[in-house]
Amino acid sequence: MNPSLKLIFALIISLEITFTTHLTGNLLIIFGALLVLAYHRVSPHKVTKLALITLIPAAALFVTMAFFSPGHNVFFAWVLVSRLYCYVLVGGAVTLTTDKLTLIRSLEQNCHLPSKFAYGFLAALNLVPRIRQAVVTIRVAGQMRGVNLHWWSPTLYFKAILSAIQWSDQLAQAMETHGFVEGAPRTVAQPINITKRDWLLLIAGLALIQLVLIALP
Amino acid sequence: MNIVKVHNLTFAFNHQSPVLDRVTVNFPAQQTALLTGPSGCGKSTFLRLLAGLLPKYGGQVSGGQITFPSGQPTIGMLFQDPLTQFALDTPRHELEFVLENQRVPHAKIFDQVQAALDFCQITDLANRKITSLSGGQQQRVALAVIIARQADILLLDEPFANIDEANRHFLMAQLGKLVTGHGVTLIIADHDCHGYQALAPRIYDFTDHHIVGLSPAASRQRLVAADKAATRQLVFAAPQPAAPHVFELNNVILSRGNQQLLNIEQLAIIKDKITLVTGPNGTGKSTFFQALTKLIPFRGQITYQGQTINRIKDRHYRQEVGLVFQRANDQFIDVTVKEELELSAKNGHHPYFKAHLQDALKALGLNNLGDRVVYSLSGGQRKKLQLLVMLMMEQAVLLLDEPFAGLDHASLQAVYQLIRTAQVTKPQTILIVSHQLDQIDQLADFHLILHDHRLTYQGALTHES
Repeated sequence: MNPSLKLIFALIISLEITFTTHLTGNLLIIFGALLVLAYHRVSPHKVTKLALITLIPAAALFVTMAFFSPGHNVFFAWVLVSRLYCYVLVGGAVTLTTDKLTLIRSLEQNCHLPSKFAYGFLAALNLVPRIRQAVVTIRVAGQMRGVNLHWWSPTLYFKAILSAIQWSDQLAQAMETHGFVEGAPRTVAQPINITKRDWLLLIAGLALIQLVLIALP
Repeated sequence: MNIVKVHNLTFAFNHQSPVLDRVTVNFPAQQTALLTGPSGCGKSTFLRLLAGLLPKYGGQVSGGQITFPSGQPTIGMLFQDPLTQFALDTPRHELEFVLENQRVPHAKIFDQVQAALDFCQITDLANRKITSLSGGQQQRVALAVIIARQADILLLDEPFANIDEANRHFLMAQLGKLVTGHGVTLIIADHDCHGYQALAPRIYDFTDHHIVGLSPAASRQRLVAADKAATRQLVFAAPQPAAPHVFELNNVILSRGNQQLLNIEQLAIIKDKITLVTGPNGTGKSTFFQALTKLIPFRGQITYQGQTINRIKDRHYRQEVGLVFQRANDQFIDVTVKEELELSAKNGHHPYFKAHLQDALKALGLNNLGDRVVYSLSGGQRKKLQLLVMLMMEQAVLLLDEPFAGLDHASLQAVYQLIRTAQVTKPQTILIVSHQLDQIDQLADFHLILHDHRLTYQGALTHES
């Protein structure tokens, strides 16, 4: 399915379940998201990790709603937990099955997102692993100078932010020397079209979601 | 005909004395110009001005101008630090991005990407992450980008600083083809003039904020002299078998991804001596250092003073074994030069620097820079400061990863002298990875050569040969 449509579909689902309290519906959506992940052969390891990380806020939410809310509403607690998993897994079904660059190219071509935002966003994403690496390097550099930087040390983050600012400046210069001009027309290396099949999938998907959320008891 | 005319150009960074002072110089089209001068003299600044990046990204032009008599040319630029010049993740994506910016029609993009990759012989790297490539490979990718852009003027800023001889020759040959075959104008900033004879550049001296062009004859003479100095053979003896060891490696295997880089059956690093480590780009020299400093996992056993390094706590181990990073910025913890020096003075114990820090600063040309932000220093100044603050710490072992990159001859001599003096007062085990081999046999005691996934001492007899 076209990456932009996939993203819009996920946003619509998330928005709809925010305004309904439908446990069966949520569970079916979770099941559907898992099916999509399995269909795209996303490694079960990744999905499990995602589910486990979500467990912490989910458990906190459940305990609060079930034991500390005025009505001790266990049903509503389950709705909230399942809703949280819906967000995470539907989001996962989009991001884990779409290549970052393809999504950006699709947003640029299909949704006419200005290329400045598209590539700025992409560059920021590419920066994340570098920032992580930088934090490790700064800690090591500190230890070698007799300074033990803990994860709460402000120096660590000050330095990481400093590096990020420098990178962003270098990045702007790199993009400029590589011929990027803000707002200038560009051609595309990999055209991404929205096919009739994409539209059909979106409409069928939306219809199915309405059926699940409204028609099911 | 001139393609670039610089007239009376004066430029300064905010609140500092001018880097360029009424510079007037012309560059003829379809020729090669080689700008030389000591590190920190403003070569990079000048190239960035030509590229139009300055004053847009900092500083002010207070007089003069740069003109292009034959109309606005396409300018390509190759930066000193290869990693800072890419916006996307793989070489292929970067090239596609460039061609999209050039408004090349979709149908032609694939072929042009392929042609650029072929020209730089990096087709096999096209889909690898750029961050996983070695410095030399990254410079090849940067050159491919410029090929794809079909630039008229090519500005190269210390393009070979972190690159081995083989890559240097290759890039130089391809650049030559661009000048003769495509009519490109090259302007190169490099303090090291060796290996340029084939390009037959005109030399421009950058001294005291001015640029002076040499005559063709004088240029040729300078290049011949530089080549002569570079081809001198390095002579090292192998260490004595009884020499005390600081590190011992047994059956150590180092890998990058699925690719095996180093396979060391047995190796000892000699205590309190200076050992040079050389080998082609991307074969694992930096990786070797990362393993010795416990920054990456490895197979086999490495011992430090008889103790397995994996059993030593990181915090204690790093008080003993220091690493001078390839990228100077990674070393700094504080903001200004003064703060950096104070930190090392507080936590470091090197007896020489306790008494003679001012002399050392003067020798390195780092005096009077106390209030400068470290990131605003020139590449060479940063390398020197980085080395100084690590020497001051007095670790028993110091690993230097390309400590001389971008240093001119005078700075290099000062740095050698400083290491030697420090070594006399307090012997340290120092390992140096370097492509800059100018007179290094005066500094190092032993030479480890990385070849065919092995590390062997120069002069030692191996089992196979």
